[in-house]
Amino acid sequence: MQETYEIILKIQRYDPDNARSWVQSYPLEAGRILRFTDLFRKINKELDATLAWNSSCEHGQCGSCSVKINGKPMLACELLVENAVAHFKTNEFLIEPLTIAPVVRDLIVDFDQAYERVNKIKPYIIEPVENPNSGNEYKISPRHLERYVDATRCINCFCCATACISSHHNFLGPNAMMASMVRLMDLREKAKDERKKLLYSEEGVYRCHSSMACSFVCPKEIDVAHFIALAKSGEVESDA
Amino acid sequence: MTAKFNISATLDCDVLVIGAGGAGLRCAAEILEKKPGTRIVAVTKVAHCQKSHTSTAQGGLAAVDPKDPADKPIYHMFDTWKGSDCMADQNVVKKIVDSAWEQIVWLENKGMHFSRNQEGGLSKRTFGGHTVRFGQSSAYRAVFEADRTGKGIMDSVWGETLRNGVSFVNQSIATELLFKDGRCVGAVLLSERKGEFVAVCAKATIFATGGDGQIFRVTTNCRQNTGDGLSLVLDAGLPVMDMEAVQFHPTGIVGPGILASETLRSVGGILRNRDLEPFMEKYAPKMKELAPRDLVARAIETEIQEGRGIMNPDHHIEHVWIDLRHLSDYVHEVEIPEVTSFFKKFVNIDPKNELCPVRPSNHYQMGGIPTTEFGEVQNASGEIIRGLYAVGECAAASFHGFNRLGTNSILELITMGRFVGQRVVESLTDQLPELPADAGKKSFALFSAYLDQTGKENLEKIREESRALMTEKVGVFRTEVGISEAIETLKALKERAANTTLSCKSLKMSPELILRWELDNLLSISIVTAVCALNRRESRGGHARKDFPERKDDFNYHTLATMTEFAKVDLANRAVDMSIFESECEHYERFGIIERKY
Repeated sequence: MQETYEIILKIQRYDPDNARSWVQSYPLEAGRILRFTDLFRKINKELDATLAWNSSCEHGQCGSCSVKINGKPMLACELLVENAVAHFKTNEFLIEPLTIAPVVRDLIVDFDQAYERVNKIKPYIIEPVENPNSGNEYKISPRHLERYVDATRCINCFCCATACISSHHNFLGPNAMMASMVRLMDLREKAKDERKKLLYSEEGVYRCHSSMACSFVCPKEIDVAHFIALAKSGEVESDA
Repeated sequence: MTAKFNISATLDCDVLVIGAGGAGLRCAAEILEKKPGTRIVAVTKVAHCQKSHTSTAQGGLAAVDPKDPADKPIYHMFDTWKGSDCMADQNVVKKIVDSAWEQIVWLENKGMHFSRNQEGGLSKRTFGGHTVRFGQSSAYRAVFEADRTGKGIMDSVWGETLRNGVSFVNQSIATELLFKDGRCVGAVLLSERKGEFVAVCAKATIFATGGDGQIFRVTTNCRQNTGDGLSLVLDAGLPVMDMEAVQFHPTGIVGPGILASETLRSVGGILRNRDLEPFMEKYAPKMKELAPRDLVARAIETEIQEGRGIMNPDHHIEHVWIDLRHLSDYVHEVEIPEVTSFFKKFVNIDPKNELCPVRPSNHYQMGGIPTTEFGEVQNASGEIIRGLYAVGECAAASFHGFNRLGTNSILELITMGRFVGQRVVESLTDQLPELPADAGKKSFALFSAYLDQTGKENLEKIREESRALMTEKVGVFRTEVGISEAIETLKALKERAANTTLSCKSLKMSPELILRWELDNLLSISIVTAVCALNRRESRGGHARKDFPERKDDFNYHTLATMTEFAKVDLANRAVDMSIFESECEHYERFGIIERKY
C-alpha cells in the first residue's frame, strides 16, 4: 500500500479586494486517507494562509464544502487522497468554486443567493391539512413515506444544481424541485395547487433536459432525476 | 485594500438570535407563533442555518408518549438525574421532560419526517440509560428520523422561521455584546461576506451559539464550534458554568473524530490494542464492550496512554482497533450499514475484512452559560441580566448536569427553545433601547490589532498545539500535574498567538482573520475549562480525575467561572436544584444523592 502521494492542487482563486482571478498551484505531500478539506487546511498551515474555503461538519452531513474537483461537483470532506487518485487517474486536481452563485473569495460562493432558489419553492408546509387526529401526530404509513423519504435526505450542497446542464438562470434547479416534490407528496400539505403552479412554471421541471447529471453527482446518492421524472409525468399527488 | 473600522449599518429589531441552529430557531419560531410580526434577526457563523451542528445529530429524541402504558415522565426524569451524576437541576429536568411529547407533536405537525410504525404513528427505539421503572428495563422512548434526527429538526425550524419571516444574517460572527445601564441591548456583528461591522439594537438578545468541541483535537463537533459564544460572554464579565463537565464518546473514527455509533459494540464489535489483545476483559470482566460509554472511553484512553495504542501515520493520532471482521454479512449490511459506510468513506477501510481505527472523541459540553429555567442569563451572584438569554448547548440551565444521556440533547434544544421564546415574548413590550455611544469600539480595537500584529508564529500550528494539549491533558483523564502543565502551556500559546502576522489585510471573507479570532476564543475556553477541572478534586460524570477517582459530596454544586483577563479565573458555586426531591412527591426518594451505577 502506498503511504503518501505527491499531488498538485490547482486552485481557482479570486481576490475580491483587487477583483483579480487566477489559478494557483500547490504541490503537496499527502497521506493516503487525508480528506480534501484536510489538504486545504494543510495549505493554510504550510503554504498559504490566505486560501479561503468553507466547511462545517466535515463528514458529509451539512453540504458546506462543495467544490468542483476536475470538473465534478463534490463534497471536499468526503474525498480521500487515494480515492481521488484512483477515481480521476491523475495526481493533479483542479479545484473550482461552484457555479450556482457569485464567488465571494476563492472557493467560497454566496450561499444566500444559491438558497434563494430553494426559498422560492417554500421548503415547508405552506398550509397544513386539517389533522383528524388533532393534538397528535398525523398518521403517515411507512409505505407512503417510502415514496419520498429519499428526497428528504437532501442537504442542499448544490452539487446537483452545479452539474445540471439546464440553464441556471431559468431553472430553479434539481434540489429545489425535489424539495417541492417532498411537500407535494406529503399528506400534511394542503397547498398543492400553489406548489404545482411553480413546479410547472417557466422556472420549473420542464427546464430539465433529463441528463441525469443530478443523480450522477449527488453525494448523498439520492436519485434526484427520479423525483424530477415523477414531477414531469404528473405523478405527484399523494394517494393515501 | 485597507480594512474599514466603522459601523456600516445599524439594524433595529425586537429580537437578536446569535446562532441559528436548532435551539435558536426553535426559539425564534415560538416568538413568531406567539407574536406574529416580531422583528427577528438571526445570525449564524456558517454559510446557512441548515449547515449548523444540529443537523449532524443522528440517534433520536427522548420523549415519553402519554399514550404509552409502560412509560412515565417520572422514569425519564429519574434516568436524567441518575445519568447527570446528581448534578442536573431538577426544576429544569421536570420542565423539559413534562413538555417533551408536546414538542415532538409540534415538530411533526410542522412537517418533520419522523420514521413511522406500521400504524402510521411515530416509531420508537431504546437508547442507553433510558429505562422504565427506575432502571428495571429498557424504555422505548426515542422517536427519530432514521439516522438524521438532527437534520429533521433543523429543516423543520428553518422552514418555520422562513415561513414566518426571520431576517437571516449568514456567515457572520458576533464580536461584541452591547450593554446599556446593565441591560443587554444587542451586539456588533462582522459580516464576513461584506467585510463590514454591523450594530444590532434589540430588545432581547438570545445566545444559541452551540458547543465548544473544537477546543479538543479529536471531536465529533463541527469545525465552527470554537467556543465563540462562551468567550463573548466571558468578555462581558459574565460567568460560565460547569466547564469541566465534558462528554467523550468512546469510538470516534480516526483521524477527524467522526462519531461511530455505539451500535458497533452492541452488535458484538471487539476492542483490541496494538497487540490485538481484547482489552475490555481487563476493565469490565462481565460487561466488556457493553460497559457504559464513559467506562469504555477510559479503558481505551488507558491503553493508549500506557503505550498499547497504534499511531495513524496520516493524521498522527493514536488509536485502538474495533474488530468487526467476525460479524456476519447480515450484521454488516443490515444492522450497521451507516457506520460501515463511514469507515469506508473516511478511512477507506472495509470493516468486513479489516480492523477499524477508533479512539475517544470529544462529543458534548454539558456546561455553558448559566441560566434560569426560562433561559435568562445570570451573573455570578445569580442575578438576571436584563435582555439576555441563552439556550441550547451553549447554555446550562442545567438539564444534563455532569453527564448527558443520548437523545436528551436535541430534546433540550426544542423544549428550552420554546420556553425561552415564551419568556422573551413577555419582555417585548419595552421600548427599543439605545445603543451605547462606543458600540463597536472593542471590536475595532481587537480586529485592528489582529491585522497590525507581526511575528513569525504560525496560527494553524498554535491552534493544533492547543487542541492536542487539551485532548492529552484535559481530556478523558485529568490529573493535577497534567492540568497544571496545560494551564502554563496555554498561557505561553496565548503569547505566541500575539506573534503572528496575517498575510491578508482584508475584513472580507478572510479565513485567516477568523482563525485568529477563533484562536483567542479557543484559548480562553480551554484555560477556563482547565481551571475548573483543576478545582474539582473528584470524579463525576464526564469529569474523571485519575488522582481523585471517587465522587465526593463536598462537590455537590455547579462551578461558576468568570475571567476578566486571560488566565485570571475567579470561581464561585451555584447550588443544584433538588425541587423534585424536596417536593416529597411520589418516588421523590429516587431523586436524592444516589449512586450512578448501571
